[in-house]
Amino acid sequence: MDFFLIAELVINGVFVGLMYALVSLGIVLIYKTSGLVNLAQGALAMTGAYITWMVGNYFGMPIWISIPAAVVFMFFGGVFIERSALRRMIGQPVIMAIMLTLGIEIALRGLLPGVFGAAVKKLDIGVSPAPLFVGDILINQSIMIGGVVSLALILSSLAFFNSRYGIVMRAVADDQTASWSVGIRVEKAIAVAWGLAAVSATGAGILWGATQGVDWSLSLLLIKALAIAILGGLDSIPGVILAGVIVGVAESLATGVVDPFVQASTRDIVASVIILATLLFKPHGLFGHEHIERV
Amino acid sequence: MLLALNNVEVVYDRVFLAVKGVSIEVPDRGLVALLGANGAGKSTILKSISGLLKPERGEVSRGEVLFNGQPIVNLDPPERVRMGIVHVLEGRRVFGQLTPAENLIAAASMHKDRGHVNALMDKMFTLFPRLAQRAKAKAGYLSGGEQQMLAIARALMTEPKLLMLDEPSLGLAPFLVDEIFDIISRINAEQGVSVLLVEQNAIAALDVADSAYLIENGRILMGGSAEMLKSNPDVAEAYLGGSHQSDYHAVKHYRRRKRWLA
Repeated sequence: MDFFLIAELVINGVFVGLMYALVSLGIVLIYKTSGLVNLAQGALAMTGAYITWMVGNYFGMPIWISIPAAVVFMFFGGVFIERSALRRMIGQPVIMAIMLTLGIEIALRGLLPGVFGAAVKKLDIGVSPAPLFVGDILINQSIMIGGVVSLALILSSLAFFNSRYGIVMRAVADDQTASWSVGIRVEKAIAVAWGLAAVSATGAGILWGATQGVDWSLSLLLIKALAIAILGGLDSIPGVILAGVIVGVAESLATGVVDPFVQASTRDIVASVIILATLLFKPHGLFGHEHIERV
Repeated sequence: MLLALNNVEVVYDRVFLAVKGVSIEVPDRGLVALLGANGAGKSTILKSISGLLKPERGEVSRGEVLFNGQPIVNLDPPERVRMGIVHVLEGRRVFGQLTPAENLIAAASMHKDRGHVNALMDKMFTLFPRLAQRAKAKAGYLSGGEQQMLAIARALMTEPKLLMLDEPSLGLAPFLVDEIFDIISRINAEQGVSVLLVEQNAIAALDVADSAYLIENGRILMGGSAEMLKSNPDVAEAYLGGSHQSDYHAVKHYRRRKRWLA
């Protein structure tokens, strides 16, 4: 096996994995604060990309305006989803709230292509499509920049969780009743988590939209994001980074190494296999908090 | 009067009447105890004051809760905390995945000024030096006594006027129970925080309290000064472990009636 081919696959896989990880960051944020798995994350990424494209194309704004505009819009979009839909689910079984997020995913997936047209939209964020050569290794530039930006965003969310409001949000994740008892506005913390999840989805949607174009298929990022969140342990941000890299590299190797043997595309089953294997062999994931039980 | 409950009824799930017309008063700087057996409705009374009935699908169906003369039944728990009511839950309920220092910061969400929060934290660490020693460990791994101290410190971070404690002695070794009660009476005396204390350990509670109420089956059986309750023979027998002077040969073979129910 050619060393350079493997190195190329691994390096591109790492960047792709970090871009997946940014989508799954939102799942982790919401799980951490409200104990709910957000299955609308893929559609939020898609929506963020559509909004960015729309601001650029319909209003003729340059990219450095349309990205912040989309981020702000999506933050309030996330808050609005929590306010209008999920807050009604308080006191209902968790499965109902999860089904509701799945419903939002499916609705957005149908609605936006219906409104904007199903053709693939080109989103140009000013990254050259030309590949970058490092020695004999070929690196896709837009993926490299996407991976670096994703990593930076994920690390900054780690810093956020050590800030004062971040600590409050972790307290809400730990025990909602106890949070109320010391005056924490639990509903507000959860709404902020939804806002931030929508923002991370938007970031990922823009980066992916720039590499593959904007259409409904961006919402399929949900499956990869879920695999990463589950492998990382659902409530761990460092877990998301490591699991993202694992999923990205595994996919990339599957494409480059396994595909020629089986004469078929194995890329898309990698995520499913990882979900299955994690749940079977390590249900808490790599970094998931186990419940502290004092005897 | 800092806190007054007038004829409060609490219903769970719209059917189960847990508190049946209770009236309680906590004076400014007072230390009041609610005594009674399991399931008497003591915790429910505290939750009706702190507003934490809602997550358990309970509600105040009748009567009024006045704090500083203002009705508070319709306020959210965070609003009540901002007015100065804080509730230390039964079983401590510290944020197990957070360190003690983070537990304290999380409880200070109503204070805008960071310097003020730091000053409050320093105060807590001087009040509870043991927490300072364990400041880096996850709170879930602290001992029961340390967790209780953390739960009290966390509540004090909100700068309450009324501190409500639900069974602070639960599951603690006797010397720790003494330490905790010592701290509670110090907070009451030195910082002027009124305390409403729910306890099954009636001896310890009556030692620190000014006044107390006896609760049974969601009703108040008796209320008065701690001295008066301690000297009452029925209370001594039912809650303080008996006076050891009964002559068992003379005891009649039917169950003795509790006189106050008659």
